[in-house]
Amino acid sequence: MIETRNTTLKICAALSFVLCCTSCGGIHNALNPTGPQAQNLSRLWWLFFIVCSVVFVLVMIALLLSLRNRTGEPQVATAPVIEPPAEQERKRRNVVISAVTITVIILFVFLIASYSAGRSMTAELEHKNGLNIELTGHQWWWEVRYDDVDASNIFTTANEIHIPVGVPVTFSLKAADVIHSFWVPNLAGKKDLIPGKINTIWLQADKPGVYRGQCAEYCGLQHARMALWIVAEPQEQFNAWRQNQTQTSVTPASDSQKRGQQVFLTSTCVMCHAINGTPAGSNIGPNLTHVASRNMIAAATVVNTREHLAQWIIDSQQYKPGNKMPQNNLSDADLQSLVEYLQSLK
Amino acid sequence: MSTQVVIDVSELPHHEFDTYDPVWWGNNLLLTIETSMFGILIATYFYLRQNFPEWPPPVAQLTATLKPLPQLGYGTANTILLLVSCIPMVLTDISARRGNRGVSQIGLVVGVMCALGALVLRGFEFSAMYFRWDSNAYGSVVWFMLGMHMMHLAILTVEAILLAVWIFTREYDMKHRVDIVTIAIYWYWVTAIWLVLYAIIYFTPRLG
Amino acid sequence: MSHEEAQRKPQRIEIDQEELEATMRREREELERTWARPTGLRGWFTDTDHKSIAKRYIVTAFVFFIFGGIEAALMRIQLMRPDSHFLSPDQYNQIFTVHGTTMMFLFAVPIMTAMGIYFVPLMVGARDVAFPRVNLYGYFVYLIGGILLYTGFLLNTGPDAGWFAYVPLSGPAYSPGKRVDIWAQMITFTEISALAGAVVVIGTAFKMRAPGMTLNRLPLFVWAQVVTSFMIIFAMPSVMLASGFLASDRLIDTHFFNPAEGGDAILYQHLFWFFGHPEVYIIFIPALGFISPIIVTFARRKLFGYVALVLSLISTGFIGFGLWVHHMFATPIPQMGQSLFTAASMMIAIPSGVQIFCWIATLWGGKLNIKTPLLFVLGFFAIFILGGLTGVMLASVPLDLQIHDTFFVVAHLHYVLIGGSVFPLFGAFYYWFPKWTGRMLSERAGRWNFWLMFIGFNLVFFPMHQLGLNGMPRRVYTYLPETGWGTLNMIASLGAFILAGGVLVFVINVIWARYAGAVAGDNPWAADSLEWATTSPPPNYNFHNLPVVQGRYPIWQATADAPVVRGLSTTKRETLVTSVMDAQPELRFDIPGPSIWPSLVALSTAVMFIAGIFTPWAILIGAILAGIALTCWFFGDPNYENKTARETGERSEHVGPAPELRPKEV
Repeated sequence: MIETRNTTLKICAALSFVLCCTSCGGIHNALNPTGPQAQNLSRLWWLFFIVCSVVFVLVMIALLLSLRNRTGEPQVATAPVIEPPAEQERKRRNVVISAVTITVIILFVFLIASYSAGRSMTAELEHKNGLNIELTGHQWWWEVRYDDVDASNIFTTANEIHIPVGVPVTFSLKAADVIHSFWVPNLAGKKDLIPGKINTIWLQADKPGVYRGQCAEYCGLQHARMALWIVAEPQEQFNAWRQNQTQTSVTPASDSQKRGQQVFLTSTCVMCHAINGTPAGSNIGPNLTHVASRNMIAAATVVNTREHLAQWIIDSQQYKPGNKMPQNNLSDADLQSLVEYLQSLK
Repeated sequence: MSTQVVIDVSELPHHEFDTYDPVWWGNNLLLTIETSMFGILIATYFYLRQNFPEWPPPVAQLTATLKPLPQLGYGTANTILLLVSCIPMVLTDISARRGNRGVSQIGLVVGVMCALGALVLRGFEFSAMYFRWDSNAYGSVVWFMLGMHMMHLAILTVEAILLAVWIFTREYDMKHRVDIVTIAIYWYWVTAIWLVLYAIIYFTPRLG
Repeated sequence: MSHEEAQRKPQRIEIDQEELEATMRREREELERTWARPTGLRGWFTDTDHKSIAKRYIVTAFVFFIFGGIEAALMRIQLMRPDSHFLSPDQYNQIFTVHGTTMMFLFAVPIMTAMGIYFVPLMVGARDVAFPRVNLYGYFVYLIGGILLYTGFLLNTGPDAGWFAYVPLSGPAYSPGKRVDIWAQMITFTEISALAGAVVVIGTAFKMRAPGMTLNRLPLFVWAQVVTSFMIIFAMPSVMLASGFLASDRLIDTHFFNPAEGGDAILYQHLFWFFGHPEVYIIFIPALGFISPIIVTFARRKLFGYVALVLSLISTGFIGFGLWVHHMFATPIPQMGQSLFTAASMMIAIPSGVQIFCWIATLWGGKLNIKTPLLFVLGFFAIFILGGLTGVMLASVPLDLQIHDTFFVVAHLHYVLIGGSVFPLFGAFYYWFPKWTGRMLSERAGRWNFWLMFIGFNLVFFPMHQLGLNGMPRRVYTYLPETGWGTLNMIASLGAFILAGGVLVFVINVIWARYAGAVAGDNPWAADSLEWATTSPPPNYNFHNLPVVQGRYPIWQATADAPVVRGLSTTKRETLVTSVMDAQPELRFDIPGPSIWPSLVALSTAVMFIAGIFTPWAILIGAILAGIALTCWFFGDPNYENKTARETGERSEHVGPAPELRPKEV
């Protein structure tokens, strides 16, 4: 029986090792840090993981060893011991006390490691000279507003955040309706967006790349489809992107695009969506001024292609059942031109 | 012949006062539960206070007072009445321990009158608040505090009436004398909790 | 000697053997009549016997466990593949909410309460609990609460805001309809039931112990139940306020959680978690109380470190109240404050560690016959310790910010709850089933049960640690294929079926053993505590003569001339009340008998809270109905002589020879 148990344990250990290795890389992974915050946390994780694993293995060994004097005899045959020999009890007491002492020491080490990791996480918040972004959580999308002392540099976008590599970015986190949580595992831990409160987090990307995040606080029907992208790029590229985003919307060039703009302005679209440079100014839904510059739509649910966009407009419930965008009855021609217009808004 | 070793408990009484009786334990455990509840409620009051630059918040009317502090009249009268009601309760408590049926009867009746009076005054206290439960968070928490305490006052009154009916119409036995002592504890508790709530609702806003 | 001394000092009396036997026979007859239980439908509503109530609690809670398991299986099927359409988002959200709510409120707490209600009177040597009718009331309130939740769920108005229902999502603006109201009121029912159970357990454990059972000799099972009951008393009021404020925000427009009028969304989290964290210890600590007796019995020696174990239980209870903010590390609570909660959350590992080491020290070198109860206890060690270690990880604020609200937490909570409570509970089932029914469960099936559950459990939940680190948040009804979460989810889902298989084996084992299991006898495990000193199952009156305890291990330490208690009435329901510290006899306490009033009060409570979902006037009407029922309860005959069931009631299932405390040999 011990043999089967040992074998089982070995299988478990091997399996867990394999499991750990299978997904150590990749985007979306807390153990693949690409920024100082996440790196800090990843180091802390490995400290905890290694120490805890060792502790676990040692305790399991002790437990298994305590079973070595097994018997098949029924209970009644073994007389119970009320007064074990004092020597034996003394030895056990010493071992137990040592084990407890070691436990306390380990916990103390954890506490200190945790505290200093926490301190360095918030340290940067004192310096607000990097980039400042205000993130507001909505059911079920992210409103992103780039702040600046110069008002002409302020702009609003949705669901896709660009940041320059190597620069600390401070996020002010707000919520428009219910509690959400902002989490991009490669870059940092999470912080909640709570209505009526302002929360703050800073993070920094040290390598260019695309990092995925997902809302991490249950916020209703489509909590599962409320993701976002952080695109980290070199400073010049970022500047160019930012410069573009502060511009007003592209004027429609072709007839189809002009028609598309008309469709936009005369449908229910304007009740929720804003496009700078047109009369549409509602901020109930995502800002569409530069929608074509985004890689995905519907809060990083589907890739931003003509087909997906068209399908989304006609019946967004197909992708996110229960989301707040109504279905739209548009003729084929109207839909095509609308999509053309929207895809021109780079 | 065989030998049995026994502990003979046949002479023990069936009921005794205070910690002897499981009813004392049951009652005090229930009071502990309710005390925890009021404690957390009071913590909620102070927690919500942090959200208000002015506490109580100003009433949104041009002609209303700028600082709508709860009026002291009814609340203070109620506090005095509850404190006074403890006197007949103490006498009832002592008489139950001594077995004096007459004093117990009168004491409970007087107590019930005071409790009914307190309930009426509590009704007026609600109306003396500038805010309703649905005006703002201040109104919500204060009404909840007054309401929870009123619920206890009501339960206390009903229990006292039931007990009074019993000792007027049925046996004045040990079990019910223990019940009287138990309800006296409940009475003191309702009063003590009120003193704390009174201080918090009526005076802490005045402390600035 | 004075008659006070007579109460306390054992006396030796000489008695003729035949006269003794005749007396015992006559007394047994009378006890059977006095303690007979009402039968049939009427019996179901009026029977106040603690064993009968406890068995009902256990069966009801187990049924809810199965429901919760079905909900889990549905969730695992949905998450098996990315972009699955097995469940709609709304269905999934209701299911995960009802799964959590069922397991936490309708299974875990009630079943632990039930174990206490069954065994505390037996282990302390009493005839019944301190407040039997309150006990019955508590059961009905629980049952009604569970029916309320499931009626809503089956009518597609099940709550869907998660088992802890954060505002503003659960508030009036974002959860329209009655879904969350049903949840909030169900909380009220289960919380009243738990409080009733707690008062009953403390009353019994403090005041109704057999002479000689000083606090220093109290079984660890009873210590665990007492600590848990005190935790219930201090924690439940907080959830009462949280759900009460939520219900009133929704129903009568108060603004406790409305930031626009000065309310606070974080207030809800404080109120809920101040209850919520102790809640998990309320579920865990009774299980620690199962482990000690099982280990003592199978290790065949006294517990190592009794005092350390008791102090660990108590300190776990205390420290458990200082951890709640660790559920809120992602909110804007100041860092400094949060760090204090990290320290407390790590500190609570110390008493847990003490217990683990003491138990291993007890087992060490013993001649262990590894039967199923012990097997489940060993499973507890493996699973709970792993869960406890991930708990230490979660205790760290910075680390928590990566793994909070992800499947890592789902893994952690299941490791500690299933490992820490469900495995010991199954061990307890195998251990005490003979006492409940007089028959043994099958050992072979028990092994299959254990291994299927152990392997299945680890397959389901171990991959979830990795999933959390891979970025998978909690409470998502689906996920994109590109996330790469598919493989681990598939493994977890397959494991779920193995786990379910284990539970199925258990159910079959129980049904089989009820009729065909080996007859158990009084003490099949040759154990030490008082419940084994009477028949299996115990007679309605538990013990013919209440025992006098001579040590921490009553049966093992009983001498040849162990005293018994004489002098309690056999024609009225009576038990002995003793002092809290030293268990000196104090009163002959009258135990109320069967009564209809507890169920009627429960019904009027139900009217008050269920109808209260629809109109505030229901509170008043329900209160009046409850008042009438309570008046009848107060004025009604307490039925000490058991007039209702004396002639036609059910006698005890097993009435063997008058059981005495037999020393050493079984």
